[in-house]
Amino acid sequence: MSYKPPIDEKELVKQLQNERTAHQAFETLLKTYTEPVYWQIRRMVLNHDDANDVVQNVFLKAWTNLHNFRGEAKLSTWLFKIAVNESINFINKEKHRVRGDVDGDDEAMLIKNLEADEYFDGDALQKELQEAIAKLPEKQRLVFNMRYYDELKYEEISEILGTSVGSLKASYHHAVKKLTDMLLG
Amino acid sequence: MKQEEQLFTKYGKDSGMKVPEGYFPDLQKNIMESLPPYKKAEPRLEMSRWQRVKPYVYLAAMFCGIWLMMKVFHTATQPMSLSLDNPPEAFVEMIDGGLDYDVHYLPFMDAMDFDDDDEELIMSYDNIEDFEKDFGYSLKPEYSTISVDNHIKG
Repeated sequence: MSYKPPIDEKELVKQLQNERTAHQAFETLLKTYTEPVYWQIRRMVLNHDDANDVVQNVFLKAWTNLHNFRGEAKLSTWLFKIAVNESINFINKEKHRVRGDVDGDDEAMLIKNLEADEYFDGDALQKELQEAIAKLPEKQRLVFNMRYYDELKYEEISEILGTSVGSLKASYHHAVKKLTDMLLG
Repeated sequence: MKQEEQLFTKYGKDSGMKVPEGYFPDLQKNIMESLPPYKKAEPRLEMSRWQRVKPYVYLAAMFCGIWLMMKVFHTATQPMSLSLDNPPEAFVEMIDGGLDYDVHYLPFMDAMDFDDDDEELIMSYDNIEDFEKDFGYSLKPEYSTISVDNHIKG
């Protein structure tokens, strides 16, 4: 799945880095990327209200760091990278708030988040799959969501997570195997 | 991938997660309204050539300093070896040029702590070969040809 702004990305970046045109360009950026970035976060934190807080932080961070974006990566890659970091920070803070430490599995906290989510409208099967995904280690969970739901290319995931394509393929393979073992016997 | 297909067949790609009606336009509006003032990029400072090479120069100077300190320390802690197998050059030159010195004024004599008996012993030898033979020394060939004339003052 690829997300393209209505104008050339280089032109959009140029406009974003110009104080006079930045506001309008940022509106274009929001229209293009809010949805994919939101879903990326939502699948990580498993709760709409939390995802709503995190996605706003992501775009505020992007706005305040526009001058640091050098255009070496795609805008979507840069935004996904911020989204992943913010989601992981949120999960760690939540674990620390609930349990007093950031170590250990995310599973219990994520399942609690999913159960508390009033905008989760899934059936028993969808809940079963989300609970199984929550049991995966953080990296496998990220790779599985990006590949299975967002259908991102390994090369793009590699840029977002800063991991080699080979390692990502292995992570995805392990994730799928664990899920089929858990869910399909 | 077969297992991936099995997952897809049973669970599909709908995660069951929903958002409130009109959520994304509202979200975009909220974000736009909460943006802080635009932050300008700080102008980059141009570095002079000296500023660029300064760290490397300091590093090189530090290594030179360390090397110098180690050399001084090494020299200061070397034991002074005065032996007939390895006589100091100045000593050889003095012997080679004839011992026209008072034995007590030779620089190495203080370190060797000669007494009257030693002085008498030294004066009793006319050449190095006899000295070698009596004391079991084996001098390097270039030193064994040195002739010692007993021209000691006093």
